[in-house]
Amino acid sequence: MPSILPALEWLEGLAWTTAIRESNLGYPIMETSHVACIVAFAGLVMVMDLRFVGLAFAHTPLTRIQRPLFRWQMAWFFLSSATGLLLFVVDPLRYYGNIFFRVKLVLLALAGLNALGFHLATFRSVARWDEDRLVPATARLAGAASLLLWSAIIVSGRLIAYNWFD
Amino acid sequence: MKTKIIVALLTAGVLCAGQQALAHHAFAAEYDSEKPVTLTGTLSKMEWVNPHGWIYMDVKQPDGTVQKWTIESSGPGPMSRRGLKKTDFVAGMPLVVKGYQGKQKPTLANGRTLVLADGRSFYIGSVGGPNDGADKQ
Amino acid sequence: MSQAYRESLWLFAVTQALHLVAVSGFVGAILIVDLGLLGWGPARQSRAGIARSAQRILLWTGPAVLVTGIPQFTTNALRYYASPVFAIKMGLLAAALVFTVTLRRRVAAADGDRMPSWVPKAVGAISLALWMGVTIGGRWIGFAE
Repeated sequence: MPSILPALEWLEGLAWTTAIRESNLGYPIMETSHVACIVAFAGLVMVMDLRFVGLAFAHTPLTRIQRPLFRWQMAWFFLSSATGLLLFVVDPLRYYGNIFFRVKLVLLALAGLNALGFHLATFRSVARWDEDRLVPATARLAGAASLLLWSAIIVSGRLIAYNWFD
Repeated sequence: MKTKIIVALLTAGVLCAGQQALAHHAFAAEYDSEKPVTLTGTLSKMEWVNPHGWIYMDVKQPDGTVQKWTIESSGPGPMSRRGLKKTDFVAGMPLVVKGYQGKQKPTLANGRTLVLADGRSFYIGSVGGPNDGADKQ
Repeated sequence: MSQAYRESLWLFAVTQALHLVAVSGFVGAILIVDLGLLGWGPARQSRAGIARSAQRILLWTGPAVLVTGIPQFTTNALRYYASPVFAIKMGLLAAALVFTVTLRRRVAAADGDRMPSWVPKAVGAISLALWMGVTIGGRWIGFAE
């Protein structure tokens, strides 16, 4: 399997990625934006998940929460990913070797699969149980998994800063 | 609700007790505030990068051997604001770094002061550190 | 116990990471109400119920944010005291707290028909700006030495 390292070295050597990596303001702005977008995105997802697991908004039909929030969650997820991709590209070799970064990517994939699986299966029948205080078990499970996964993603993201295992 | 706030404040108070040397990167767990070092040597490489800079220097020992040290400094933003430039670092140039030695890695240090060959002295520490604030110039 | 805590790299790092999780939960509870006030979120008839639930979430995540945030603050107190960014963040936090427990609480719980439509929108926008300002300022402290 061909190594990805030459491509990462090429990215690292580009003039614009170097400029940001060595910048006074550019990198701080990018990283702060990444954090702010993640906080907004994950916050909306986790708060919505509380309805799934029956811990909050019990008197509100689930779709009344999920539907209007969806576009904002997607918008902030897109921005989080864009800023995240930029951060990676600016210092690719550092993140490539970082175990917490790799764990974060795996957890992201799992969170995506969890959401996709729920949408394709249980969510189909939502009209039947939308108003229930306690939604079907599979929906509750998806909500709990989502809460755990996104918390773990945030934690592993923060731990990227610690290069203990380099 | 009042009880919740009181419990939270009490817990926070307990956690605060005796946390003098914690820093945003847990300075006390990576670096030893009881082991200040003054390193005199030549610059091998300077990584002028975010979020922290890295100074690699060769320090000649009394017995003639050369030790290779890695020093963590602040990022380009704070260093620029204190008057340092990337071009101030030239491979092979003499320099003096004062800091605190690493706990798990003996040739790692958290840099606080940098002195260049022309005598100019700069604070290169990051947020946090021993007696935080007291060693700021 | 505090000695163990001080020496433990893991414990501090994980506390800091959990601070981010708590902040996200807190901001999420703020956002769901603010989006509703701005007319971009849950439908108007659900807003009062959502605001009540959101307030409970704030009361749980708020202390969590404090408890996980304070270890970062105590040791850097001297430097933070001199930092303008820290002062700005604290000012925004004070403003956000006062605003949230007074005007915003009343507007969020009220029946939307009884006030001109610009009032909830303005309240939502101000709340969003204040709380995102606190969040951004909190991160920026690390960059502004």
